[in-house]
Amino acid sequence: MTHLALKNVSKHFGDFTAVKDFNLDVRKGEFVSFLGPSGCGKTTTLRMIAGFEIPTEGVISIEGIDITNKAPSQRNVGMVFQSYALFPNMTVAQNIGFGLRIRKEKESDITDRVKEMLAIINLEKKADSYPYQLSGGQMQRVALARALAIRPEVLLLDEPLSALDAKIRVSLRAEIRSIQQKLGITAIYVTHDQEEALSLSDRIVVMNMGEMEQVGTPFEIYNFPTTVFSANFVGTLNNANGEVVDPANGTLTVDGVKFESATDLKSRKKGDKVKVAIRPERFSFASEIRKANVVDAKIENITFLGSVVRIQIKIGNTRFNMDTFNNPFLELPKIGSTEQVTCSKEAVLVLDE
Amino acid sequence: MAQTALNPKSSSPGSDWKKWLGVTPFFLFAILFLVLPSLRLVMGSFTNDEGRFTFANVLQLFQQQSILDAYWLSIRISAATAIGGGIFGFLLAYSVTVGGLPKPLRSALITFSGVASNFAGVPLAFAFIATLGRTGFVTALIKNLFGVNLYTQTEFDLYSFWGLSLTYMYFQFPLMVLIMAPALDGLKREWREAAENLGASTAQYWFRVAFPVLLPSILGSMILLFGNAFGAYATAYALTGGRLGIITIQIGAQIRGDVLHNPGLGYAMAMGMVVIMAISLMGYSWLQKRSERWLR
Ligand SMILES: Nc1ncnc2c1ncn2[C@@H]1O[C@H](COP(=O)(O)OP(=O)(O)O)[C@@H](O)[C@H]1O
Ligand SMILES: [Mg+2]
Repeated sequence: MTHLALKNVSKHFGDFTAVKDFNLDVRKGEFVSFLGPSGCGKTTTLRMIAGFEIPTEGVISIEGIDITNKAPSQRNVGMVFQSYALFPNMTVAQNIGFGLRIRKEKESDITDRVKEMLAIINLEKKADSYPYQLSGGQMQRVALARALAIRPEVLLLDEPLSALDAKIRVSLRAEIRSIQQKLGITAIYVTHDQEEALSLSDRIVVMNMGEMEQVGTPFEIYNFPTTVFSANFVGTLNNANGEVVDPANGTLTVDGVKFESATDLKSRKKGDKVKVAIRPERFSFASEIRKANVVDAKIENITFLGSVVRIQIKIGNTRFNMDTFNNPFLELPKIGSTEQVTCSKEAVLVLDE
Repeated sequence: MAQTALNPKSSSPGSDWKKWLGVTPFFLFAILFLVLPSLRLVMGSFTNDEGRFTFANVLQLFQQQSILDAYWLSIRISAATAIGGGIFGFLLAYSVTVGGLPKPLRSALITFSGVASNFAGVPLAFAFIATLGRTGFVTALIKNLFGVNLYTQTEFDLYSFWGLSLTYMYFQFPLMVLIMAPALDGLKREWREAAENLGASTAQYWFRVAFPVLLPSILGSMILLFGNAFGAYATAYALTGGRLGIITIQIGAQIRGDVLHNPGLGYAMAMGMVVIMAISLMGYSWLQKRSERWLR
């Protein structure tokens, strides 16, 4: 059941197109992230849902009701800002109760609801503190409670963790996810941090230059990226230029070295130039598991990255990174030697530009 | 030995006085222009003509009706111009910041305010006499255009309470603009959006968020304007020639030695002013601290 829907939504600022033909159906209770580099139109899209920007084209609806041109104050959509945006002249409790007071709810109901929200964010003791007396993480929890207190249809979060320390970022992101699931609220989360998007979301919308690149679950986005952009933006990636040999059984060559790919190549012809991508962790030494795609690789360099060892290899004339998990019994090849490495057909991605 | 090794900097004999060298000009200034004059004021207030100790001067402050009237007049003029200039200055500052008037207009207003807030004394009085005095340019213009003589047909009088207030306003509202523009810039766009997002109208946002946040700055600035007008002397003297007995003019009369010559009383009156100023400055710094916390 679609709860929030964006249909052919575009936003122009003068000649500049910030968001182009955005289409998305969000289920009730779903957690969707907009992921992309700075300036790709994530915030603009979110602000159109909140009503701070009006789309140049397209329709936004909640529960089938068109809200495209409604004033922000009439939408019942909760928003959490990167800068917290707590009202500095109000206590924590007054901040949380603000929306309810505007709605002229009964004072006793407001008190109860504020208590309930304070319990959810674990800040009962800070009810009477002012924002300037709180840490960044506490302020953002209050902002979250304030946005949720009005029982919004949709919760919007615009890079809510960007201003916080790495440690708090990780713990608060888990807290946001668990609160969202507990309340079953529909949430849209804007971030440029792939790890955040991957760990939080039911679905991710990868965005680039105002356009949607790919929509999918974190699993799909990571393992089956469909475009060069989304493959590169999420995780690390080896890029290479290939040439189609046989579209029917998915064979291609990279610098003359033959690979088999599980990507459907039926739409391409023999001799087509294509972008080939393989994630570093999908390579392994052929002595371990012998499958398809066994190729000769020259060992060029070895780097320790903690839990992972990154080995720079050269296949044909193309350099690739290969990651293997670190362990004390790992036998590493000699630099300069040539070894057989392998990867599965599924690991060889053929991408759209 | 061990201590020297652990803490070599602070125990070397030379560095202590070097640290103080930088602030010496400040202390010199404070002693010469703040401490010594204040001491002189206090001593003068408690000294009679023969140079002996007395309470008479200070007591007279509260007994002599004309002195109380002079304080009261000064307070009224200062308050009127602080409130009037404060409101007008706030509205101007609002229109060039939040109001979204074009950028060039803003820098023009700020530059003008910087100059005008320091335009006081004889030149200011003369400028007003030349425009709004009995034979002033604007007075004549109004007579010619509308056939109204400001001085015979209306209550207007440049040399009165309201006339002087109007003149003071000329340096009061620019000062308000200078202080309020940064404070208004400090209002975060996200506060407005958060309020709207939670269902508030523009009026509700201003009433419940923006105005309360600005209030300490507004009140604090008005206190500064109050002090600004309270201490003014030359403008009033040049404009009214002593006809309007504000406290600074009365003090001048006591110390300069016209008919009223009594330096001891003059000192006591000045000390009274210092007390009133000190109280307003305390209020100012209290409010300032509050708003700094909020507008961080
Ligand atoms: N009000 C505006 N006027 C003009 N350009 C804007 C405005 N808001 C955003 N933009 C532009 O639109 C693009 C997308 O911005 P934004 O949605 O904030 O990106 P993101 O949140 O993904 O970093 C940027 O290039 C930005 O400069
Ligand atoms: Mg953004």
